[in-house]
Amino acid sequence: MGHPAHAGRQVRTRVQDLTVSRTDAVTRILFEAFSATEVRLFYLLGYAAIAVFCYGVYVQIRKYRRGAELRLEGSLGRRLGAMLSAVLSHRTIDRRDRAAGGAHRLIFYGFMLLFAGTATITLEYDILEPLFGIRFWHGEFYLVFSLILDIAGVALIAGLVFMMYRRGWMHLPKLDYARPDRVPGDPDFNRPQYRREDWAFLWLLLIIACTGYVLEAARLVWLQERADVWDTRWWSPVGALLAEGMRTIGLGEQGGGLLRHGLWWFHGLIALLLIALIPFTKVKHIFTAAASLMVRDPLAAQRLPRVPESQEQVGAAKITDFNWKQLLNLDACTKCGRCHEACPARAVGAPLSPRDVILSLREFAHATLESGAVPAAAELDIHGKAPGQVAMETLWSCRTCMACVEICPVAVEHVPIIVQMRRKLVEDGAMDPLLTKTLQTIHKTGNSFGESKRKRGAWSKSLPFPVKDARKAPVDVLWFVGDYASFDPRNQKVSQVFASLLQEAGVDFGILYDGESNAGNDVRRVGEEGLYEVLAGANITALKSASFKSVVTTDPHSFNTIRNEYPDFGGKFEIEHYTTLVKRLFAEGCLQITRPLKYRVTFHDPCHLGRFNRGYDAPRELLALLGCELVEMGRCKANSFCCGAGGGRIWVPDPVGSEKPAQNRMKEAAAIPGLEVYVVSCPKDLTMFEDALKTTGNEGKFVVKELIELIREAIPARRAEELPA
Amino acid sequence: MKILVAVKQVAALDEDFEIRGDGRDVDPDFLIRDLNEWDDFSLEEAVKIKEAAAEPVEVMVVSVGTDEVDESLRKCLAKGADRAIRVWDAAVEGSDSIAIARVLAAVAQREAPDMLFAGVQSSDQSFASTGIAAAALLGWPHAAVVSKLTYAPGASSAVFRRELEGGLLQEVEIQCPAVLTIQLGINTPRYASLRSIKQAASKPIEVLSLADVALSEADVGEAGSLSRVRRMYVPDKGRAQLIEGDAAQQAARLAEIIREFKGARA
Repeated sequence: MGHPAHAGRQVRTRVQDLTVSRTDAVTRILFEAFSATEVRLFYLLGYAAIAVFCYGVYVQIRKYRRGAELRLEGSLGRRLGAMLSAVLSHRTIDRRDRAAGGAHRLIFYGFMLLFAGTATITLEYDILEPLFGIRFWHGEFYLVFSLILDIAGVALIAGLVFMMYRRGWMHLPKLDYARPDRVPGDPDFNRPQYRREDWAFLWLLLIIACTGYVLEAARLVWLQERADVWDTRWWSPVGALLAEGMRTIGLGEQGGGLLRHGLWWFHGLIALLLIALIPFTKVKHIFTAAASLMVRDPLAAQRLPRVPESQEQVGAAKITDFNWKQLLNLDACTKCGRCHEACPARAVGAPLSPRDVILSLREFAHATLESGAVPAAAELDIHGKAPGQVAMETLWSCRTCMACVEICPVAVEHVPIIVQMRRKLVEDGAMDPLLTKTLQTIHKTGNSFGESKRKRGAWSKSLPFPVKDARKAPVDVLWFVGDYASFDPRNQKVSQVFASLLQEAGVDFGILYDGESNAGNDVRRVGEEGLYEVLAGANITALKSASFKSVVTTDPHSFNTIRNEYPDFGGKFEIEHYTTLVKRLFAEGCLQITRPLKYRVTFHDPCHLGRFNRGYDAPRELLALLGCELVEMGRCKANSFCCGAGGGRIWVPDPVGSEKPAQNRMKEAAAIPGLEVYVVSCPKDLTMFEDALKTTGNEGKFVVKELIELIREAIPARRAEELPA
Repeated sequence: MKILVAVKQVAALDEDFEIRGDGRDVDPDFLIRDLNEWDDFSLEEAVKIKEAAAEPVEVMVVSVGTDEVDESLRKCLAKGADRAIRVWDAAVEGSDSIAIARVLAAVAQREAPDMLFAGVQSSDQSFASTGIAAAALLGWPHAAVVSKLTYAPGASSAVFRRELEGGLLQEVEIQCPAVLTIQLGINTPRYASLRSIKQAASKPIEVLSLADVALSEADVGEAGSLSRVRRMYVPDKGRAQLIEGDAAQQAARLAEIIREFKGARA
């Protein structure tokens, strides 16, 4: 491969026999046969390219620094380690697209090796030798390196060619830049400039790689009479092969010399061009993606950012309201489309693609924050329909299901960005009237059903035993019931079943009755931070005044906020989802299956249990214990498909006529041959999917059930007189 | 320019409520308090006028009640009111809607607004008289059930629309200052986020006594009221019974019931 940036030196000795060569004479031909003026010109251009690069880096860093402050937690070393592990393993790029991951790995390692090779030459030629007289770039070291670089070049080219094939011929929907939140004709509808940039990047790298080989071959032909060059040629197998070809078609030493001279400049100049372009083009993802991975917050969607008490303004109104890390996130996006593909709102045709929210804001930041002075506040407004702005319909389409954050290979954190923008919409009252009504109701009654607080524990009245009031008597397990399981008639039945299971297992449990309020998980994800603070505060006070060992909940939404967000408000409680508690009760023999079920089932991972809190295993182990045959849907576990209820969307009906996420999901389940039960373990899922079962015409084909109900079926209730008192 | 908006904190029944010991009202323990729904609309109308005006306009809310009312007043401040006045004296307890109107009129006299808005009625008492009575006491022109309003602050008159029976609309011009009672649906009330309510805590709520508005104890309470609530109760449930059996049995039973009802002999 040709690395023109580095000068050669006089070759003093001829190498006769490679296998026994211990001479240090053999080395890389660099500036040989160049005039002093040419060498000076090249250095000049090299410095110019580096200067442009540095300026670009400065502009980018200045842009990020124009964002709000943020102090990162955690050690830098651990962050660096996590980043290197993700980058070197390509783990995140492999996910859900092995082929792209493999090709990127070839490009990455090919490029890195070639870069390291060039850097090593610079190290010796421009630094170590002139300053300290140290030389190592010769002899065996050189030959082995030369072989490695030749192989690296092959890897790079193979990766690039596959990526070209992928972009040009595979027609992957996720690589289609058409936006669901714009219509054809809008200036930023499908952004052909992105496509051009993608191709230019691929071609640029490919040309650099290919000309490197041709240059190497031309050099071999040119210097074929020099034994140190010619006899070691097979250490650069690709170059040597090309050189043989050139000689066959009649290229002589002189022709080779000319070709080498010309190509040297061409190859050198486009390589310098690439360096200069890095900070201004998608090439910068080399740095921004790595940096983004380094500042990754593993709880980005699970634990939303607090609004400091002292802060006047709530939510993101201007681009500069995002913190530097979020601005960096915008630049890290590589448009890979994994979030676009995973988003349930996008899948059903809602005007939202997480990718496009990020790209819009990136374009906005690029247009406003890269010049010398920051424009006036009015020009920084990110809400609206102009290019770069994000429309409220887009923001309200989000179900905060975290599918985008979870799959992003470069740690872009979409959900907090969207919620922070929603906070501003909530401040302005720019939301569906039904949502306004719901928030007012929750404020007034502490639940989204508008029911009296006093009725919160009413579902327990029909049980044959009293459920302890945890405010009045100490309990081992405090059950945080949540709104849906307390007030929704269908879910109340599940609550009654769960209470009887706990009772039969001999668990000393209680509930907070009207001391409990809506946990606030979804209120917070709507963006009503003030109301969330009120709800979280009320629940934390209620929990603290009760005496218990641990908290259990049947509601994954409550589970998430109590587990991950209450600690920020001074409420640290040990909480688990019921699936892990019940699993333990089985393991300890407190519950025993007396009638194994033989159902063919599939399991829907609730977003807040699965993706948010990685509770994938307990429900599956329970299903196996019950004797059910579990058939997974294609989209399961981390890739589970949101029922559409998250982020407060359960309070706002989806537009009539369009497919709902839950219906989309039902169709997926219906494709499982012989499916009998669609198992859920979240009250909102039960509501959403029982509805979708009917509206997709699958009623009668299979049923939707709470896992709790299946457990009950496998442990037929003992008669009342057998129940423990 | 100044618009005065009279607001009320109303009570809604909780589940399984009980009647107060004296039998004249619901036990306050079973009441959920909130801003009267109509007042949300009249406040929004005032704030919209303020926002559309070139001149500075002050929107003031006024309410009569104990410090429990501050929560609702704060919500009004969060939604865009500039000032809040609350009038209270123990003697006000037991006032009918006209006595309350007397207090509101006294505040209007003190503040001299260009317009006084009130809701058509309160959702808990539904007398629909407070606003109009205040107009009478002030001697101002008034109109009830306004469903659309065109008013520029400082103008000598305003034009509003009312909805009549049979789908008729009535457009009326009225001299200012006037009292208008505002109907639901005239606008879309904004949402007051909890943050904005919290921040509104720093805006002042002025608490006035009867003396501050030049009234005496005799003007309010039962002394100043010509009507009083005698009792509040839940009527006995009407009875319904399902007649079972085949058609002939049902017909026979029905005939029997009719005869019983008429007092005829079997």
